[in-house]
Amino acid sequence: MTPALAISGLSKRFDNVIALADVTLDVAGGEVVAVLGPSGSGKSTLFRCITRLTEPDAGRIQVDGQPVDPLGPSALRRARGDIGVVFQQFNLVRRRSALANVMTARLPSLPLWRVALGRYPQALREQAEEALRAVDLDAQRDQRADTLSGGQQQRVAIARALMQESRVLLADEPVASLDPDAARMVLALMRRLAKSRGLAVLCTLHQPHLAAEFADRTLHMRSGQIVAGADDA
Amino acid sequence: MDIVKNAVGPAPRQGEQDDLASAVVSRTAFVPLLGLGVAFYALCVHVADVDFIRLVEGLPRLAGWIARSWPPDLSEIDVLARRGLETVAMATVGVSFGAIIAAPLCLLAARNIAVSPLLALPARWLLNALRGIDSFVFALIFVAAVGLGPFAGVLGVALHTAGSIAKLWAETIETTEPGPVEAARMSGAGRLRVFLHAQLPDALPQLSSILLYMWEFNVRASTVLGVVGAGGIGQELKNSVDLLQFDRVLTILLVILAMVTAIDQLSAWLRRRLS
Ligand SMILES: Nc1ncnc2c1ncn2[C@@H]1O[C@H](COP(=O)(O)OP(=O)(O)OP(=O)(O)O)[C@@H](O)[C@H]1O
Ligand SMILES: [Mg+2]
Repeated sequence: MTPALAISGLSKRFDNVIALADVTLDVAGGEVVAVLGPSGSGKSTLFRCITRLTEPDAGRIQVDGQPVDPLGPSALRRARGDIGVVFQQFNLVRRRSALANVMTARLPSLPLWRVALGRYPQALREQAEEALRAVDLDAQRDQRADTLSGGQQQRVAIARALMQESRVLLADEPVASLDPDAARMVLALMRRLAKSRGLAVLCTLHQPHLAAEFADRTLHMRSGQIVAGADDA
Repeated sequence: MDIVKNAVGPAPRQGEQDDLASAVVSRTAFVPLLGLGVAFYALCVHVADVDFIRLVEGLPRLAGWIARSWPPDLSEIDVLARRGLETVAMATVGVSFGAIIAAPLCLLAARNIAVSPLLALPARWLLNALRGIDSFVFALIFVAAVGLGPFAGVLGVALHTAGSIAKLWAETIETTEPGPVEAARMSGAGRLRVFLHAQLPDALPQLSSILLYMWEFNVRASTVLGVVGAGGIGQELKNSVDLLQFDRVLTILLVILAMVTAIDQLSAWLRRRLS
């Protein structure tokens, strides 16, 4: 079976810093893989290169068997629809509701006036409500994002990724801005979704004990390379 | 963040104490710079033909006019009020047209949207050109093109204000958070949708406040447009000064003051409500 996310030979250098050196890894559907490593070891760069928010210098990226690395701008935009992302800072639109933030996933298919006014078709609204229910936030549907707690905001971000119906979820330090209880809740949620929906989850963390508790596999990065853990699957 | 900054910032040169060095450089440059500034100012005073003797000689004439202006001539207050309204209308319609021109310009010019990277530079040139030419100058040209009256003023205000609004709007949009934009881009949406969804809601209060401010500013600025024949109360002002009817001039000044104060208050109140 082709892995949901397959990366090989991914490399990136900034001026005189080698941020990624020949990184190869696979994540299967339903699997949670944690990435640990000291600050500056290239974890965020790895995530940004997979989504090509930062252009890698070399390497292959496949999502569901489809290559992402050679795509031109418009094909890349479509391919990004297959990758859900969760950021450390949540990155919600502050002044829009939880539901509108979940709707971010469907922007490409919406007419401009609906995007501007935040008026969404009923069928999509129901789908977004469903995604919010999956992260246990149905009661906060109409609440403005900047009034939600950190843990709730991160769950909205996860619901946004669910709404995309992508098979891959990339989470760069999803719990670094959260207190321990909220952190466990978010990680447990991601794990549950991986198992129930066959989502491939790649997630950076700072605490080894959280990785041990919630991940199926842990990779260690140092100076842009995966130094251990690649083979203990 | 800090890591990135350290990586891209210039490396400190060896054996050199940057702070001390720059302090010495700026101190040695200080005296010549000050000299240059004083010389330039002196030149300006000379070129501007400053002559306080003439002011003193003119004072009695001014005093006479002020004395003759009382009591204000209220016989034509209805005409003047109508002309005042014309000025407000000119500014309001002019600013609304300006905003319509400014909207696409600012989308092209804002660096963190750049709907079309190819058009970003021409858009920035255009808005700087519009902003650089005063509405008074535009109005002068439009009076020649479309004839006397407030419509020439509307067009003048519209063009100049379009440049100002576009620049201020673009700057506001450039300060919106990059995080939500990246998240929205990850959905695969194009720049315009990303802007409407992720940037517009956060920028909207500030964008509206800028629009109100430009409106208020243009009501004040439009009082002079009548001088070039572009309608409004300024035209009455010029006529009355030319005919030395100072009681009527006083009435006009009072009408302008009342009008500007009312608009300022209204605009300030609305802007307070936005923030
Ligand atoms: N845009 C950039 N320009 C220059 N250098 C960069 C840039 N982005 C990252 N780097 C460098 O690449 C290296 C890897 O950075 P990265 O952000 O991927 O580390 P990280 O493992 O995510 O660290 P942290 O745990 O602190 O988030 C660092 O040395 C960093 O300085
Ligand atoms: Mg990082």
